[in-house]
Amino acid sequence: MSEWWDYGLADFLLFSPRVYYRLFETMNSVWWIAVLAAFVAGLVAAGLAMRHGHRGNRVILVLLSLIWGWAGYGFLWQYYQPINWAVAYILPGFVIEAVLLAVFAARPLPLRFGWRGDLTSCVGAGLLVVAFVIYPFVGLIEGRDLIQAELFGSAADPTALGTLGFVLMARGTWRWLLLPVPLIWCVFASATLWVMDQQVAYVMFVAVWLTIFSGWLDLKNGVTTRRLTEAERATPASLSD
Amino acid sequence: MSEIDRRNFIKGAGALGLAGMSASIGQTVPRLARAASSATVPDVIRKTVASTGEKIPAVGLGSWITFNVGNDMVLRDQCASVVSAFFNAGGRMIDSSPMYGSAQEVIGYCLDKLGAHDRVFSTDKVWTSGDGAGQIAETAERWHTRNFDLLQVHNLVGINENLPLLFRMKDEGRLRYVGITTSHGRRTDDMIALMKNERLDFVQVTYNPVDRKVEEYLLPLAYDRGIAVIVNRPFRGGSLTQQLEGEPLPEFAADLKAESWAQLILKYLIAHPSVTCPIPATTNPAHAAENMRAATGVLPDDKMREQIAAVIGVLV
Ligand SMILES: NC(=O)c1ccc[n+]([C@@H]2O[C@H](COP(=O)([O-])OP(=O)(O)OC[C@H]3O[C@@H](n4cnc5c(N)ncnc54)[C@H](OP(=O)(O)O)[C@@H]3O)[C@@H](O)[C@H]2O)c1
Repeated sequence: MSEWWDYGLADFLLFSPRVYYRLFETMNSVWWIAVLAAFVAGLVAAGLAMRHGHRGNRVILVLLSLIWGWAGYGFLWQYYQPINWAVAYILPGFVIEAVLLAVFAARPLPLRFGWRGDLTSCVGAGLLVVAFVIYPFVGLIEGRDLIQAELFGSAADPTALGTLGFVLMARGTWRWLLLPVPLIWCVFASATLWVMDQQVAYVMFVAVWLTIFSGWLDLKNGVTTRRLTEAERATPASLSD
Repeated sequence: MSEIDRRNFIKGAGALGLAGMSASIGQTVPRLARAASSATVPDVIRKTVASTGEKIPAVGLGSWITFNVGNDMVLRDQCASVVSAFFNAGGRMIDSSPMYGSAQEVIGYCLDKLGAHDRVFSTDKVWTSGDGAGQIAETAERWHTRNFDLLQVHNLVGINENLPLLFRMKDEGRLRYVGITTSHGRRTDDMIALMKNERLDFVQVTYNPVDRKVEEYLLPLAYDRGIAVIVNRPFRGGSLTQQLEGEPLPEFAADLKAESWAQLILKYLIAHPSVTCPIPATTNPAHAAENMRAATGVLPDDKMREQIAAVIGVLV
């Protein structure tokens, strides 16, 4: 098997940045209604997640589940896979993530989203801002057209970034199960962008580390493992961890 | 196609090493027989495939990255323009691999669109440690063809299974030539061992005025063994032409009628007696035609080749 050890990361750069960014242009032009709808759905979910309440939690998860399903089919399957065969190996991850989000939405005790003012919340909110506002429009600085914008909800990179943000803004047991797929995607995307010489690779890379660090802090403080008490479920304001 | 008398070929080719080169090493033939459909195809230098005596145009076309454009019809049509410019300038060999994403499918699209399946010297690869035969069948489907001119074991992957498979296909008349590839100077020792022990028609290696390691042993061996040599990464994946952009051409370029650095590099490669065909990749029809024009006119002799390597070595 030594033949496979010869390969470097650059050997797997199969396409040029021009072809890559045209994927978004084509998708945004052909599927603009779905792209816009997914983006708006994401915004609604983000709005709900920032509220410190216990209503809308299931809605957020359902919307995210639909978004992952759409990003998997709309972008990965239709556009990205034809130019990058490695995507075929990650595509099932998108299905798993969509199913997991649906399961989390359906289970009796759903996740609770909300701003808590701690480091994890700050990182989560920061990632949401990056995913919704900054990431789609970095291309403009680099001279790409607006039509090539990578929007949360359809393009995989901001969708994965934003999902990390959502999970960090959430509270509830087993929520870390929602992290591996977006984390793996961010690592994959970061490597791809890096070999394409795209500075935005660092954003994905930093997001991965911040998420892992915040998750580790939560784990250390027992936030991950403790179930919400009845009182906490009844009174969102009493959430203290 | 006539069978080659390998011994005569080697004898006739003369002593190895960098013996004086000129346009005579590559033969300029009146017109490409297979490309007879286009009345405008110019004369180009052709090199001999030693194992059969067949002569093929001395510049081919790669497809790594450049032809992986997926379902983007605008870009597919641009690829078709590249292939069209390439054929019209006298080119024939197009190289691809199952590793190159949608490139094989896009080549199939281009050949269909141009109605040019009979003009191409189809060159592809097998790149799997698993079901080689299945992969080759898929590759043929993507090209919309049944048989290939040349199939190579890509980067020697699964060589113990894939090489016998290719030889079997050749023996059964389903394949004309068998080859192996590497790049970036990797696995040279393994490649050399295979060149010594197997009846290969082609090898594909990286070679350009900066990456010259193959000159030491591999190219002379190919010559001795009558193995045709395809050169990949002639422009180091484009970094060479980019670095040289804007630099004035040396005066002697005019003697070779080289209009650009790209042509100078290709002439340097074609002039080596062992080299059959560099396969530069491009997204630009003008570059495809320009690269083919390198296979016309005069080629550098040994001294001039050294000058080319020296000048480029200083500039990059
Ligand atoms: N192991 C293997 O089997 C292996 C490994 C590597 C490569 N290969 C084969 O070899 C082929 C060639 O290697 P490669 O694609 O890596 O690199 P390459 O041919 O050395 O370089 C390709 C680059 O050169 C530029 N170029 C082409 N013609 C030019 C011209 N006339 N003036 C200026 N720039 C020019 C192209 O840019 P423009 O688009 O702007 O023209 C393109 O970006 C591959 O496509 C592939 O088929 C095989």
